[in-house]
Amino acid sequence: MNVSELTLLVLRIGFLLLLWMFIFGIVYALRSDLFGQRVRKMKTDAAAFPASAVPAAVPVTVPAAADAFTAPVARASPNPDAQAGMATAQNTTRLVITSGPKAGTEFPLGTETITIGRSSDSSLVIRDDYTSTHHARLMLWNDEWMLQDLDSTNGTFLAGSRVTVPTKIPLNATVKIGATSFELRR
Amino acid sequence: MTEPVRRLHLPQKLRNLELFLLLIACFINASAVVLVQLGALGELDPTLVLLGAGLSALVIGLHIVLRFVARDADPFILPIATVLNGIGIAMIYRIDIADKQGGWESAAVRQTVWSALAIFSAIVVLLVIRNHRVLFRYTYIAGLVGVLLLFLPLVPGLGKEVSGARVWISFGNFGTFQPGEIAKIALAVFFAGYLVRNRDSLSMVGKKILGARFPRFRDLGPILVVWALSMSVIIFQRDLGTALLYFGLFLVMLYLATGRLSWVILGMGLFLGGALIASQTLNYVNGRFTNWLDALNPAVYDAKGGSFQLVQGLFGLAKGGLLGTGWGQGRPEITPVPQSDYIIASLGEELGLAGIFAILALYLLFVARGFRIGFAGQDDFGKLLAVGLAFVVALQCFIVIGGVTRVIPLTGLTTPFLAAGGSSLVANWIIAALLLRLSDTVRNQPRLVV
Repeated sequence: MNVSELTLLVLRIGFLLLLWMFIFGIVYALRSDLFGQRVRKMKTDAAAFPASAVPAAVPVTVPAAADAFTAPVARASPNPDAQAGMATAQNTTRLVITSGPKAGTEFPLGTETITIGRSSDSSLVIRDDYTSTHHARLMLWNDEWMLQDLDSTNGTFLAGSRVTVPTKIPLNATVKIGATSFELRR
Repeated sequence: MTEPVRRLHLPQKLRNLELFLLLIACFINASAVVLVQLGALGELDPTLVLLGAGLSALVIGLHIVLRFVARDADPFILPIATVLNGIGIAMIYRIDIADKQGGWESAAVRQTVWSALAIFSAIVVLLVIRNHRVLFRYTYIAGLVGVLLLFLPLVPGLGKEVSGARVWISFGNFGTFQPGEIAKIALAVFFAGYLVRNRDSLSMVGKKILGARFPRFRDLGPILVVWALSMSVIIFQRDLGTALLYFGLFLVMLYLATGRLSWVILGMGLFLGGALIASQTLNYVNGRFTNWLDALNPAVYDAKGGSFQLVQGLFGLAKGGLLGTGWGQGRPEITPVPQSDYIIASLGEELGLAGIFAILALYLLFVARGFRIGFAGQDDFGKLLAVGLAFVVALQCFIVIGGVTRVIPLTGLTTPFLAAGGSSLVANWIIAALLLRLSDTVRNQPRLVV
């Protein structure tokens, strides 16, 4: 079998392209690591969340219904009450402990799921008598932070009401687990 | 109660991404071997396509192990190491063809067998070390092991001298091993543990001179000990590169632990001073400097132990140009040792500048992942260890590629993952395994404990 010069040239360039595609594939996969989270263009009036919305638990039943709430909140709104929308990947940067033994501490939120419980493999370990081993978790669904109770014994409370189904979390609303409560803040 | 616990385990997104990249990596490796055969032989030889298949099977095995023991490990380290290892095997195979070495005794087959051994040791490391904090307990033992391994080649009867440098040990006819490669891991563990324990006295006190806080005289002990160690490597083992590697590793970890630039200034002054004295007094160091500064002088080129090899490597790189001659179509075998120290020149000839930059980009990504793992770590030991291990790979690349491309004097070190040499492969795959383990524990740690 004889290979022509032309075939070899094409294969040679093809190999280099393949190599570089591999590299750019890796760089693409770690883009959020290299350049930080992508900031979405905010939609203006039509999609803006109703300013009158009170911070309250909004249970989600079907995934399709979630789309109605994916509207981002205008960031530069001057009135803190007016921007009290749901916590999304874009407008939430940190989790602040508001009561309990570690009140006042906070840690930054990325995009990964935050598991909460007494077991040491949780992201947020709460060691008190009221917390279950795997108590609850915070996760991003359609770019919105959701609170899910994992059949905990003593329950997870969002703004005073017990969470039974995955629930959207309003910004600055109190989530109470055992003797600890925390808020998601921008 | 088991049901909700099981639901906690999300789909292994990271591992699936790794598998996807790994399949591309295996495809790249297979096509490299095929292109070597088409270019150098003009036909396909299916028996040796097994070379690529063997490596692929091994890395997929490692991937499966990761799915069970380190689910949250970094997904990029394994594919990058796989591509580098595979390209290395393809180039070694290509040089075997040029040297008319075939069959199962050839260097490429040996390299594949060593890769198998190396990946197997990576799996063992992942299975045995379930948490990197374990290594912290063995700080001083690691230091002792590192120093012993470093000086093992000086033991009469065991050590073996190859082209001037006494850095190998030989096991009769079985083969040779370069214990210094393993020593760099042991020393990285030792430096990390030692600096975490003792950094306060090294970072807090001292006089301020010209805006930089310089350490007290009595705190200079550690740096002088490591300096003496690397100088003795230069003198007794006649190996500049290894000495530079260890000293650079210590200096960077010291800087990371203390955050004081004065240590770097001090250390670089010490090493440059030592190297300068060595270049005046030691013949072989002097020769290296002459070859570097005056490489293209015909007298130096023709001299025994002159710059023939270096200049041939440069000619090869020049022949390669932008896109290279193509796999199997250059003449990399003209340069002495084209498959180990000069593999970068061989690859530069056949893959061109585009290929060399791709390889450098792979190293860059590998090292950047290591730094990222260190950056994300919560405990100081893990941080230091991850950055130290990543830096040792980066520095080794710089020393050997800088030497081949005439940026610094040439010293014999292996190009990580690429070059022919079993000990280097084993060491670098263990480094990859440790980085994988570190990245897994970093991701699994609680963000906050209430």
